[in-house]
Amino acid sequence: MFVFFCPHCGENREEEEFGYGGEAFIPRPSAPETLDDDAWGDYLFMRKNPKGWHWEMWSHNTGCRKFFVVKRNTATNAIAGSWTLSDGRKAYDAEGGAT
Amino acid sequence: MSEPVMRSPLHSFGLASQARQIDDSCGVWANEIPYLGYISLRGDGRDQTFVTAASNALGVPLPLQSCTLSSSNDLKVLWLSPDEWMIVAAPGQANALRSCLQQALAGVRSQVVDNSGGYTKIFLGGSKALDVLRHVSVYDFESLQPNRVVGTTFGKSSAYVFRQGDGYRLIVRRSFADYIWRYLARAATPYGFGIANAAPG
Ligand SMILES: [Zn+2]
Repeated sequence: MFVFFCPHCGENREEEEFGYGGEAFIPRPSAPETLDDDAWGDYLFMRKNPKGWHWEMWSHNTGCRKFFVVKRNTATNAIAGSWTLSDGRKAYDAEGGAT
Repeated sequence: MSEPVMRSPLHSFGLASQARQIDDSCGVWANEIPYLGYISLRGDGRDQTFVTAASNALGVPLPLQSCTLSSSNDLKVLWLSPDEWMIVAAPGQANALRSCLQQALAGVRSQVVDNSGGYTKIFLGGSKALDVLRHVSVYDFESLQPNRVVGTTFGKSSAYVFRQGDGYRLIVRRSFADYIWRYLARAATPYGFGIANAAPG
């Protein structure tokens, strides 16, 4: 059972309040109509799936209903922190778009 | 064609006819507080023009701190997210309040919607009310301070909850109202579940 800190509600909340939103910061192709099927398929389906630290989105479904960013270790389930999307982006970039 | 009739989401439970004075015979007391006005207000909480205009129209400061509410005699303003508030008004006041807000916010990036058909309010009290909330939800309601409002999980649904006077108030979606009512009633059964007379506000 996770306990997440929601950066919008400003409180620690139980996992039951949240929904998983997948890997964070996947850039949407700026001109999808110019992509071939492989490139579009990569954008839609291919994920890093790391063993270790993972930047991911969660949605506070039954609270503020906002998405936010969590850095979670997929091997240990340790949570390094949670941020709003914009603050999380800065932290992610500061790590060099980390692994 | 006959005139449309407003019916509360919990109408089919016939609560009014079962209501009685709160006493020691039950650990948990509840009732619906039907037909209130619910206005959904969207806007940017960091936009001073929006905040000032909305606060002036409401007559109470728009709560900007997360999970807080502000209230006057006539209404309550609940923080739902950084750009969304719910205004709970007395029966019959929603329409006037909506147009008042819309006029005050003309030209300001915002949205005001009358959602009165979409929600209802439930009073939950009695000596075992906190125990029932512990059964049905994941939030630590014991730490819920007055003037705070929390959106959280209730089984397969959700509710906004705040403390008021002697008990709790739940604001639930119309479509889940009977589910949540049955859920509360079932959790409360071991403590004795009574339908309360004239639920306060
Ligand atoms: Zn939240």
